[in-house]
Amino acid sequence: MSPEIQLAGIHPRSERLIELTRSYERAKSSWSQVEVQLEQETKEIIKLQESLGFRHFSDGSLAWQDQLRPITRSLYGVESGTRYSRWFDTNTFYQKPIVVGKISAGDIDPRSFLRTELLAGKVERKITLPGPYTFSQLSENKHYKNYADLLVDVALAEREIIQKLKNLGVTLFQLSEPCLVYQPYRKGFRDQSEVELALRAIRSVVKDNPADFVVQTYFGDGAPLLPELLDLPISGVGIDLFETDISSLSEQEKTSKAVVVGVVDSRESFIENPSWIADTARKFSEKLGARDLVFASNSDLKFVPQEIANQKLEALSKASELFEAS
Amino acid sequence: MSKLFPVQEIGSLAKPKWRTKGLRQRLSSQDLSEAEEWAAKLGIQDFHDRAKGILRTGDDKERVKAVLELSTLYGLRLFETTGLDNDGVGGEQQRVEMYEHVIKAVHGMNLLGHVHSFDNKYFNKGVAESKISRKHPVYLPEFLDVKKYAHRAVKVPITGPYTLVDWSFSGYYIQKQQANSPKTRKIEAKREFLLDIVEQIIRPEIRDLVDAGATWIQIDEPAVTTHPEPQEMELFVEAWNETVKGFNCKFSDHTCYPSEIGYKVLAEYAPKLDKCDQLALEFANRDTSRLGLDEDSREGYSDLNHFVDSGFSGEFGLGVAHVHDYTGNVSEGAGKSVGRDLIESPELVRDRLLFATKIVGDPAKIWANPDCGLRTRTWDVAFAKLANITKGAELARETYQ
Repeated sequence: MSPEIQLAGIHPRSERLIELTRSYERAKSSWSQVEVQLEQETKEIIKLQESLGFRHFSDGSLAWQDQLRPITRSLYGVESGTRYSRWFDTNTFYQKPIVVGKISAGDIDPRSFLRTELLAGKVERKITLPGPYTFSQLSENKHYKNYADLLVDVALAEREIIQKLKNLGVTLFQLSEPCLVYQPYRKGFRDQSEVELALRAIRSVVKDNPADFVVQTYFGDGAPLLPELLDLPISGVGIDLFETDISSLSEQEKTSKAVVVGVVDSRESFIENPSWIADTARKFSEKLGARDLVFASNSDLKFVPQEIANQKLEALSKASELFEAS
Repeated sequence: MSKLFPVQEIGSLAKPKWRTKGLRQRLSSQDLSEAEEWAAKLGIQDFHDRAKGILRTGDDKERVKAVLELSTLYGLRLFETTGLDNDGVGGEQQRVEMYEHVIKAVHGMNLLGHVHSFDNKYFNKGVAESKISRKHPVYLPEFLDVKKYAHRAVKVPITGPYTLVDWSFSGYYIQKQQANSPKTRKIEAKREFLLDIVEQIIRPEIRDLVDAGATWIQIDEPAVTTHPEPQEMELFVEAWNETVKGFNCKFSDHTCYPSEIGYKVLAEYAPKLDKCDQLALEFANRDTSRLGLDEDSREGYSDLNHFVDSGFSGEFGLGVAHVHDYTGNVSEGAGKSVGRDLIESPELVRDRLLFATKIVGDPAKIWANPDCGLRTRTWDVAFAKLANITKGAELARETYQ
């Protein structure tokens, strides 16, 4: 079977939707006009996934203002705050969650996570959420004396939110953990005890939670952590191939886990050649002994205009065919 | 002793509706009613003559020129009326925004479409499709208008080369790289693109501005703290030093909204920046909205310590007013929350300036300014914020008299 292709996060809005949201900000359009366009575009993204042979369907998360916001708004003890912080090394920003009390899961607004009504008929549904470590790292802690306690509570709350989302028909959860691998400033920025804490938090999220989980790393070199990630009780691990040097990967025992190969760059407009994608993925899978590959962008495609993002998905689809044919 | 805590703006003001519409089509007298109200407030005495000229002309180029000139005059007068000591270029009224305005003047670059910045804000992102060169001067026409009307000192904010490259797709530059590793290809492409931007675009711009009389260039580099890796920071320093080489004017850097460790890293490299007389930084965004000179109340200013510790000896442009939406609480005496805006009280501004002085040690090294350009606020809000910054600076000054 050819490698599956998946969306790896927030898909970009079209120029039409962008113009409408701007017009809404200027009080020249109503939110209902924005909603109509959001719905139409979500349908188009689902259709695109169908045409490209996707097996797990996402709704593109077009209404998400940033990668953390729906979770932030679903937690007790966390406020949205007014501070905007940069999303890693991109020119995008997120509203910083402020931890002001003990964290627990609150009520969720299902529509703010997933447009399930537009995914009717799709049995396999995927959603991308920030992993507990990344969420806690990107929050401002004004309550917990001990970071480990904060992380545990985020994990337990996220676990509960995931159970609610599972009731909405979500079968595959991508937990994005860029903070696990993004360490641009100094070597030794994160010590092993902190990695252990992070991995334990991920285990808490997935424990006895009957769904498929993928932990996706991006914006950093995934190679050093890969063996530990592959040990997690999850169905797959994702790697950013634009930050991970394949040659530095140590030879692995064959893994039964799915490996999500971030093999198109969500931060460059250049459309990768499908042959290059297939070839790079092949080298990677040989090195890793991975049998179950998923092709994806290295992170959310929201960092490129929608037209480019769609072309990148098409390139992934062609690459998947080439990979299978070879 | 020169004036302590002088006040400056950072760059942009919102574009009035008549300015935006006037660039696209002819205006009616009704379109100019808002301008008429502000004319009285800002003392624009020849408004009616100017308005007649704008309404009468059937020539698009003439109308656009007149509208841009008028909005620049309004921006300058708004800054002047609120009491600023440096009026910049009147709120960057002649620019689309800081990125696109430059990219449109570059041969070899193409704007690809909008990408998300935050909430419902976006920017039009360009790609280098071939080796780049300058089509025409970017900032000079605006500066010539500013020179004509400014009553006070001015500075010219320009978008820095590192930011222009970082916010663009490398396209041509990445495709020509030969290295096997995608990561190596990226960094090599970035360096080549960056040095081309410096030589082909930015230095010719600065040459034009200096020749026309500019004495202070503010280089806006919001992207610099985006990539705190040593390799990237060294690239930034290399580009900065190439940019300012041989010019005889004041240079300052403006960098806002850094990544988590961004200011710490910028602080480490700031002493290596040639001729960098001032760092204008954002702090109010991360500070509390309550009065006080203690560290808890002024938690947003703790990063100043990094710059002092690293030995940066220049001035600081201190962000003392928030420029984005505000939804939090405001303590008594610290200001008021109006809709989505926070109007900082003069007392809060004073406390921020005095706290920063405790860290920096020398009040003569501190300027007061908003965190960033005020383009996301209405003119009423921008006016109120700037006026309170001026009053707050006066209060801070009084403690030294």
